[in-house]
Amino acid sequence: MKTFRFLTTVAVIAMASALAAEEPVQGGTLNAVIQPEPPGLMLGLIQNGPTQMVAGQIYESLLRYDTDLNPMPSLAKEWSKSDDGLTYTFTLQDDVVWHDGAPFTSADVVFSVDVFLRETHARLRASLVHVASIEAPDDKTVVFTLNQPFGPFLGIFEVGTMPMIPKHIYEGTDFANNPANNTPIGTGPFKFQEWERGSYIHLVKNEDYYLEGKPHLDEIYYQVIPDAASRAVAFETGQVDLLPGGSIENFDIPRLTAMDNVCTTNAGWEFFGPHSWMWLNMHEGPMTDKNLRKAVMHALDREFARDALWNGNGTVAKGPVSSVTRFHEENTPDISFNPEKAKEYLAASGYDGETLRILPLPYGETWQRWAEATRQNLAEVGINSELVATDVAGWNQKVGAWDFDMAFTYLYQYGDPALGVARTYISSNIAQGSPWNNVSGYVNEEVDALFADAAIQADDAARQELYTKAQDIIVDDVPVAWMLELEFPTIYRCDLKNPVSTAIGVNDGLRDAWLVQN
Amino acid sequence: MKAFWFRYRQNRGAVIGLVILALVLLCAVAAPFLFPRSPWSMVQRPFLPPFTMDGLPLGTDALGRDVLSGLFHGARVSLLVGLVSTVVALAIGIPIGALAGYYGGLADDMLMRFTEFFQTIPSFALAIVLLAIFQPSLAYVILAIAIVSWPPVARLVRGEVLSLRHREFVEAATLSGQSNLAIILKQVLPNALPPIIVLASLMVATAILLESSLSFLGLGDPNVMSWGYMIGAARTVLRTAWWLSFIPGIAIVLTVLALNLIGEGLNDALNPRLRRRQS
Amino acid sequence: MLGFIAARLVKAVFILLAILVLNFVLIHAAPGDPAAVMAGEAGAADEKFLQDLRERFGLDQPFAMQLWTYMRGAVQLDLGYSYRQQMPVAELIWDRLPATLLLTATAFVISIVLGVTAGVLAAQAQGTWWDTLISAVALIFYATPLFWVALMASLLFSVVLGWLPGFGYQTIGANYTGLDRVLDVGKHLILPASTLGLFFTAIYMRMTRASMLEVSRLDFVKTARAKGLRNSVIQRRHVLRNALLPVITLAGLQAGQIVGGAVLTETVFAWPGIGRLMFEAISQRDYNVILGVFFISAAMVLLFNLVTDILYGIVDPRIRIAT
Repeated sequence: MKTFRFLTTVAVIAMASALAAEEPVQGGTLNAVIQPEPPGLMLGLIQNGPTQMVAGQIYESLLRYDTDLNPMPSLAKEWSKSDDGLTYTFTLQDDVVWHDGAPFTSADVVFSVDVFLRETHARLRASLVHVASIEAPDDKTVVFTLNQPFGPFLGIFEVGTMPMIPKHIYEGTDFANNPANNTPIGTGPFKFQEWERGSYIHLVKNEDYYLEGKPHLDEIYYQVIPDAASRAVAFETGQVDLLPGGSIENFDIPRLTAMDNVCTTNAGWEFFGPHSWMWLNMHEGPMTDKNLRKAVMHALDREFARDALWNGNGTVAKGPVSSVTRFHEENTPDISFNPEKAKEYLAASGYDGETLRILPLPYGETWQRWAEATRQNLAEVGINSELVATDVAGWNQKVGAWDFDMAFTYLYQYGDPALGVARTYISSNIAQGSPWNNVSGYVNEEVDALFADAAIQADDAARQELYTKAQDIIVDDVPVAWMLELEFPTIYRCDLKNPVSTAIGVNDGLRDAWLVQN
Repeated sequence: MKAFWFRYRQNRGAVIGLVILALVLLCAVAAPFLFPRSPWSMVQRPFLPPFTMDGLPLGTDALGRDVLSGLFHGARVSLLVGLVSTVVALAIGIPIGALAGYYGGLADDMLMRFTEFFQTIPSFALAIVLLAIFQPSLAYVILAIAIVSWPPVARLVRGEVLSLRHREFVEAATLSGQSNLAIILKQVLPNALPPIIVLASLMVATAILLESSLSFLGLGDPNVMSWGYMIGAARTVLRTAWWLSFIPGIAIVLTVLALNLIGEGLNDALNPRLRRRQS
Repeated sequence: MLGFIAARLVKAVFILLAILVLNFVLIHAAPGDPAAVMAGEAGAADEKFLQDLRERFGLDQPFAMQLWTYMRGAVQLDLGYSYRQQMPVAELIWDRLPATLLLTATAFVISIVLGVTAGVLAAQAQGTWWDTLISAVALIFYATPLFWVALMASLLFSVVLGWLPGFGYQTIGANYTGLDRVLDVGKHLILPASTLGLFFTAIYMRMTRASMLEVSRLDFVKTARAKGLRNSVIQRRHVLRNALLPVITLAGLQAGQIVGGAVLTETVFAWPGIGRLMFEAISQRDYNVILGVFFISAAMVLLFNLVTDILYGIVDPRIRIAT
């Protein structure tokens, strides 16, 4: 399996570079699937997955990232960092206009970050505490001044994290109820045209885009098909040509990728680094016992789950930091599948046969099956457990209220441990009511200090050392049971060239995509 | 009793139904002995087609679980849910119907408004909402099914009681000074029993269908293997492994069919009006 | 007659309001709230984010206040705002309702026409193999889970045979107009409507057959026969007419259940109707949408009950006199 996956990766890379040599053609209509239907497209207000996927073509930020997470120009053509790591200066592109024709200037950047997003964007708000001031000395220049060095600072300029919002439309209005939210105005390569609720979202080429010759496509239809099996059929029958990662059930993937003229890639998720695990409730109950947590960890057959449930897509997680995220440490303490070891730890623990509650993630069949397989894995080593049925709302409530023993989840890492990993393990982040903080209730002062220290280092080597230490300690404490680094293959007709060229894949990659005209 | 069995036997379909139900019952009873391992155990490689491996005649599902074992254990769940939820529905419906029919007047009016009210709410949608509140476990699935299926019982019982309460034997009991409760329990209800029994047998069938629909939508108890669950879980692989949805579906059809046939047989054997028709 | 209708309408309004109150209480009792769900979809949130959302949705108000606000709106036919879809509920339902009405009405017509015809045939041919066959088919239809037939039908007719589209309301991206569009929707309608109608077809068959047989034994039919009326006349004028009474009652009662069945059918066939809308809204705790769909479907049930009563009066003159 491993070799096979390696070969596919090589093949995909080889194909990608061969394709890059081809000359893009202009024109064509792309039909893509969007799942579920987004609640809205105003990216500054709504940041759920489908919104990012569509609105990423409409809005832009200052930077983009390649699949190794290196920053690339977007609305900023150049940027520089002062030696003390406290001042970042961005120079904006020339001749950028909003979709309504108004010029895009540094005033828009200051408004977006300092006023709009500070008010509406929870995730960005957490990073902005490091920013002392944002200033626009002239129309084309923006200067960010930090309180102290912040290692991942250049990583927060992705479009879903920091979309540019038109100041002339939103300044002084009630952001959430501005009627313009229904007709989003950005600077991106595609403009919003029409949204037929329950059917499709229609974007058209931005003729005034600042990059000459881009985008290549004339229009994009995002089709809303509310049923996984139907989405697969729609692709098979040629009604759609692009299935973004996660839009069909895993069981359908082999059938579709085996078809003629179908290409697939696992790239384009590096920025998110979706990492799955089970929260282990360390607030109270049996999971406070470290030996029991270790027993659970070793009882999980994660290779089987990957092969049977995820079609071999994904990597068995080695610890808290995904291998696609920066500062990942490969040589963490052993947590591999080992029933014998699990039984030893179980015998050493205070577990007395009580039934533990597993909360599955209510996101479809794969996750349900995964929870069922986990229950059997645990039963094999002598741990009794039962699944607690919930729907999405119930899951949010139960996880936030710590009402479980084990709870499936997966979270994004946003490229840097300071942005997407620390939040899960630092003790200052323990609070009821949220499923994204330190839900397990893990408290380790040394880990707290390491994360705090690593975030404010300006030097990468120093950060690596601190993060490696943190990863070793955390893996030994098992505050969560790590499952897989998830991979969501993007499946598309091979006529569509270059849909994935960045770390957020089709969310902002369609700018550079083109269709072979038959 | 003999006469009853004689009349029941006249209906050939009813006898067939009884045989099928007996078989399903046998499966349910034998499940823990024939398949002592949990039906959730992953025993072989996934997606083994039927009749390809000894010991696994119906093959395996997406996680390599024995389909036949699931079928046997599923019979337990279906029958249990069907029976218990019907009993609960009767326990709600009979008192309401009896009180309404016996006392009449304001009580009748209020109770029937209440019943009518429940009949107006789309029952399947109500069941879904109830399970969203309770979060599904077997007990709550049964309760939700009972809550949406008692109104017909109440209406039926009310009608029967209404027609019985002015009969001579009831009047005689009233004159002899028996309490109302005693009269309802000892005189009226026993005579209203035949149609209730018929209805109950059909309700068991409906409850089984309802449970399978809920499980299919993922609203069943995730810790018990039920036929509806098996179909729902196999739905995503319908195209590659159609038999995984097909087999448990057949089990549901047979069981529900059997119960309906039995209901008809009981109707023939118990319902005097139809009995007259037979002659 | 008018007075009767007016009285029934007033009663219906009260029942509707009571249903709204009950469901309001029920759905708010479910764990979790829409703000948490939406925050969950965003992948991150802090206290301020949740607080902002709850304030915007009015979820920070006391429960009684929320109920009062909702009911006050509902009385004026204002069904509120969908949190998840960010649009008025009435608009959302209005968008989806035609699809469900088309589906259920077609299923309704299919099942009544097919069921009553087969039931009459079976009754007239009582005791023959024809009767046995129809009765057996009805029994099997009756015992078959709707969602399972739907799955099997889509597998057979769409995947294996390729005759009919297996999902959706129209061909994606085709943008047909005029007659082409009607035909396209019609083709998509066949599988969902016939599977949704199957169960009711069976009920109507059995019902019609049974009541035809029962009525034909009643005294007035015997009298008619004794008067020497031709059998076909008796069947049409006396038996069928009277046998239809329970069928009409049933049709009224089942009209509401068909909406419930639509949840399953719409799920399997990805039909964009209000059944699916409600199912999704429940797990997202999009309160106003759930209540709105309950409101509409209960209103439909009550409307059908009223129509049933009026029809009853037309078919059976005795009732008209009584009221």
